[in-house]
Amino acid sequence: MGGNIFLAQLLSGLTSAMTLFLVASGLTLIFGVVNVFNFAHGSFYLLGAYFAYQAVAVSGVGFWEGVILATLGAGVSGAVMEYVFLRRIYGRPGEAGFQILLTYSFILILDDVVKMIWGTDYKSISKPEALAGPLYFGEMIVPKYDIVVIGVGLLVAVGMWWMIKRTKFGRNLRAISSNREMAASLGVNVPLALSLVFGLATALGGLSGALSAPVRTVTPGAGIEVIIGSLIVVVIGGLGNFWGALVGALIIGEVTAFGILYLPQWAILFSYAVMALVLIFRPEGLLTKRSAAR
Amino acid sequence: MQEIPRGWKWSLAVVLVLAMGMAEAATAAEKIVIGALYPMTGRAGRYGIDSVSGAEIAADEINAKGGVNGRMIDLIFNDSKANPAYSVKVAKRFITDDKVNFLMGVVSSAVGLAVTEVSKENKVIFVGTDHASTKLTTEKFQPYYFRVSNNTYQSAAAAALYAKDKKDWKKYYVLGPDYEYGHRTWEDFWMLLQRTRKDVQLAGQAWPKLFEPDYTPYITAILNAKPDVLVTTFWGGDTVAFIKQALPYKLFDKMKFFNYDAGGNYEVLEAMPNTLPKGLVLSSRHHLNWPDTKENRDFVNKYKAKTGRFPSYAAEGAYAGVYFIAEAVRQAGTAEDADKLVSVMEKMKIKLPEDPEGFTSYMRPIDHQIVQVQAIGETVPNNQYPPATMMLGNFKVYKAEDIIPTEEEIVNTRKEAAK
Repeated sequence: MGGNIFLAQLLSGLTSAMTLFLVASGLTLIFGVVNVFNFAHGSFYLLGAYFAYQAVAVSGVGFWEGVILATLGAGVSGAVMEYVFLRRIYGRPGEAGFQILLTYSFILILDDVVKMIWGTDYKSISKPEALAGPLYFGEMIVPKYDIVVIGVGLLVAVGMWWMIKRTKFGRNLRAISSNREMAASLGVNVPLALSLVFGLATALGGLSGALSAPVRTVTPGAGIEVIIGSLIVVVIGGLGNFWGALVGALIIGEVTAFGILYLPQWAILFSYAVMALVLIFRPEGLLTKRSAAR
Repeated sequence: MQEIPRGWKWSLAVVLVLAMGMAEAATAAEKIVIGALYPMTGRAGRYGIDSVSGAEIAADEINAKGGVNGRMIDLIFNDSKANPAYSVKVAKRFITDDKVNFLMGVVSSAVGLAVTEVSKENKVIFVGTDHASTKLTTEKFQPYYFRVSNNTYQSAAAAALYAKDKKDWKKYYVLGPDYEYGHRTWEDFWMLLQRTRKDVQLAGQAWPKLFEPDYTPYITAILNAKPDVLVTTFWGGDTVAFIKQALPYKLFDKMKFFNYDAGGNYEVLEAMPNTLPKGLVLSSRHHLNWPDTKENRDFVNKYKAKTGRFPSYAAEGAYAGVYFIAEAVRQAGTAEDADKLVSVMEKMKIKLPEDPEGFTSYMRPIDHQIVQVQAIGETVPNNQYPPATMMLGNFKVYKAEDIIPTEEEIVNTRKEAAK
């Protein structure tokens, strides 16, 4: 049993890590490229979860189609928020303050919008039949759905790596992130790229929410709960650093999982302890070099 | 259109405002004004919204019959935001500006503890519904506070009696949210159970933060500890999230699941149609399908007709609160003399939807805590309350007198706290 429980805990930590990573990677991407700290990022997780509920449980769309629709829906909402609202405050004196006010207000607005449309009772969607059960490895049980979540997380990580490193769009993003004016003067359509990045990042948040809908509670307020975890992750990994989000999520996922196994009464302390240690010894984050989104 | 001269406009406005003010004052004297505070947003928003509907149903029923001693019930609602400091401000405004006769409400015990201070200071009676911390009726007790729903001690005591009879429940694991409510609900149970059962042991405990979205690592750790019973003191969405995540691990086949305070709330049952497992041992402060009395059926049907859905337990608490106030005013013949009302309320007996045949809820003078029967059940298939497909059944019922702390215990707790 000893080895088994170790593996089981490792896997459950990995599942937590991947859900965290999907939200945190969007948060850090927006910070790295758009230079906005998007407090409302968790609300796109919330939107994703509700969109998936609407598609799958209400409109009767298939599960994966629902997840894709929810991801797109969250991304479009994010891009619209950037285009209509955030764009107006770029470069203002005291921009940071406006960013906080604006993005924070969106947490409240989106929470209430969700409440008005879907009410306050807990929503749920069923997993696809084929993924509902567990897989057995000897005595160890692993839910099939968890493996899918891990798989999707890894796919997104690889896909993002490819996009950032190998595509023209990614090259533009890196250029914008290191010097916005220079990129613009070299012919990069910066405003368009910023909207796209915002849309992409919020789509990742929406994906995380949609994938979580069958296993977590879909309720107004859920966005605020994930934003705190994601914040810890990006602080550990380095704000604006994409790989930092992955590393940070893995650290938090596993530290929490093994904390629970060995010292359950103190379990929730560990992620904060790790964050405090990073802030003391490497305040710029574990992976941060000077420029972001590498 | 002809211009009205500027000076005229102003005096007209002043006259209008004065007239409205006088009309307001005239009706206010006749009405019984209840200032109710409930959260409208966040995780507890459902309880707040249900409470408002429950209170409105009671007020409408009473007013339709001509009110109390000819006076109509007037409910004023405000969002507590589940925030103690904010709620204190609203409660004070209720008293000074709205001239309320009673304060009512509050889902969060933290808010309850704050509002009871306002009630004490201003000698305005505060009728507590739904919030459950025992502190309000013991350590922080004050004479103008009354609670018309069960507290955590009562459900913990009923749970201890239930567990006492389960001979094969020996190894316990507890998982609950890491704050006052989660810990207190467990500690009262465990203390009481250990008095009667010497063979029980604690296999482990873990306290995730309130509203933790992800319990997977806890689940694997619990499976590893192999308890006979998993006690959880979650409420609302946390129960839902835990059950969803534990299902694929077949956790419910391997141990009993026991959530005796809020686990059987309808919002939990309805959240997982078709997936909620059978045989979970749960309870709640009010059940839609127990007791099977006319009063309870009527209440549930009225609620369904008004809102189009079934209520969480908070609704019946608020409904009870309004009736409790109305009945006190009727007996005391006043809504203004707080001390006279207190002496009436202390001896109040009141038949509520959650009372089974042959029992009437009553107030206990020593702690102003309503004394009620508690029923614990198991999830069984039941399609009568959609969207839920499981409801509680096989109820075990615990007598009101068996699940309250003795007067001596209350006095001792208060002495301890005063030290």
